[in-house]
Amino acid sequence: MSIDFSAVTAQGLVKMFGPTRALSGVDLELSAGCVTVIEGPNGAGKSTLLEILSLLSRPTRGTLRFGPYDAWRDRQLLRGTLGVLAHAAMLYPELTGQENLTLFARMYGVPTARIGALGERFEATSFWERPVRTYSRGQLQRVALARALLHEPRLILLDEPSTGLDVRATERLVEAVVVERARGAIVVLVTHDAALTDKLADRRVRINRGRIEDQLA
Amino acid sequence: MNLAAAAWLVFRKDLRIELRTGEILITTGFFALLITILTSLSFYLDDVVARRIAPGVLWISIAFSGVLAMGRSFQRERDHDAMRGLLLSPLPRPGIYLGKALGIFAFLVLVELLLVPLLAVLYRVDLGAVLGQVALITLLGTLGFSAAGALFAAMGVRVRTKELVLSVVLFPLVSPALLAGVVATREVLGGASLSEVYDWLRVLTAFDLTFLVLGALLFGPLTSE
Repeated sequence: MSIDFSAVTAQGLVKMFGPTRALSGVDLELSAGCVTVIEGPNGAGKSTLLEILSLLSRPTRGTLRFGPYDAWRDRQLLRGTLGVLAHAAMLYPELTGQENLTLFARMYGVPTARIGALGERFEATSFWERPVRTYSRGQLQRVALARALLHEPRLILLDEPSTGLDVRATERLVEAVVVERARGAIVVLVTHDAALTDKLADRRVRINRGRIEDQLA
Repeated sequence: MNLAAAAWLVFRKDLRIELRTGEILITTGFFALLITILTSLSFYLDDVVARRIAPGVLWISIAFSGVLAMGRSFQRERDHDAMRGLLLSPLPRPGIYLGKALGIFAFLVLVELLLVPLLAVLYRVDLGAVLGQVALITLLGTLGFSAAGALFAAMGVRVRTKELVLSVVLFPLVSPALLAGVVATREVLGGASLSEVYDWLRVLTAFDLTFLVLGALLFGPLTSE
């Protein structure tokens, strides 16, 4: 079953870890074709918010809707529409980059031609026949980015995507995000990279102590 | 993607990694062989005693080396947080679980292909007439052990004390399968027919089905927050 949506709406999201309140009532609207940058100090709740948006963690309270779909109830259907880049690469070190991408392409039912296109977009084809364990941080990040965008996800969650990337690779990242935004993807970017924010942000959301402090369009 | 296709995809991935590294087969294989050889040196009194303790040695080797295989199989999922990639994907959770369990089962069966003949030689067990029966009991026991182990090893992916969880929780839970395996193997090696150990085979089958179903149902909730 193919599903789609054009907005993500969070209302009153609260997340508790025991007595610790990681999110304290977050309201957020994310729209198609818009890059939202989430900023905030360490421990502000950014990663928790991304965990909830990526459907790996259930909010303690509040509602999260992907268009008409209830995010938690319909999570199995919605998973195919998510592309996530996290701190860890989520790749198998003993497989090559190309084998990793082929594996994920099969999971998402993506044609293999798409792998080549993304490999070229992130200039990964020169090293992707080596096992992932031999990659530099930047090479790892480029293949992880290709993995996150492989299936043309509707909602793209990028956590510090420029980590380890050189100037040229960062330019490729910016180009890729611009392409995804033009395609109509909903992009959420968590970054401390001010230059990246300046280039990509359509909207900036500042989060602190589990609350949204400020939103700038 | 349906359940079987998802399980097959995860299994093939594990198999490909294992073919490249040989890590699980080499470590668990050597460990199982070491247990078998050391116990044969320690406990061998005569052929009669040897044949009596052989079933226990077989299942101790399978249990201990199995825990090693499970730990290593899920350690691969922890490296670079690869398990998160699986959990983010649209693969049905039960399919991921069944693929992991199938991988552990296959690796243990390969180890047993070395272990059982070695045991027969060291403990003077004549396998000729009972090979089929021993194979059936071993496969049923290993399947249940792999099914339970995959579930608890998956729990350990998000728990710091993963080895503790695996060994402390797993062994009491799989004790019915281990006990049934030991007793059924002992009886068969002692000359009993399959019909005479039918009740133990039923215990093993029930254990396998219970843990395969439980694992498929619980894997999703146990790997979510």
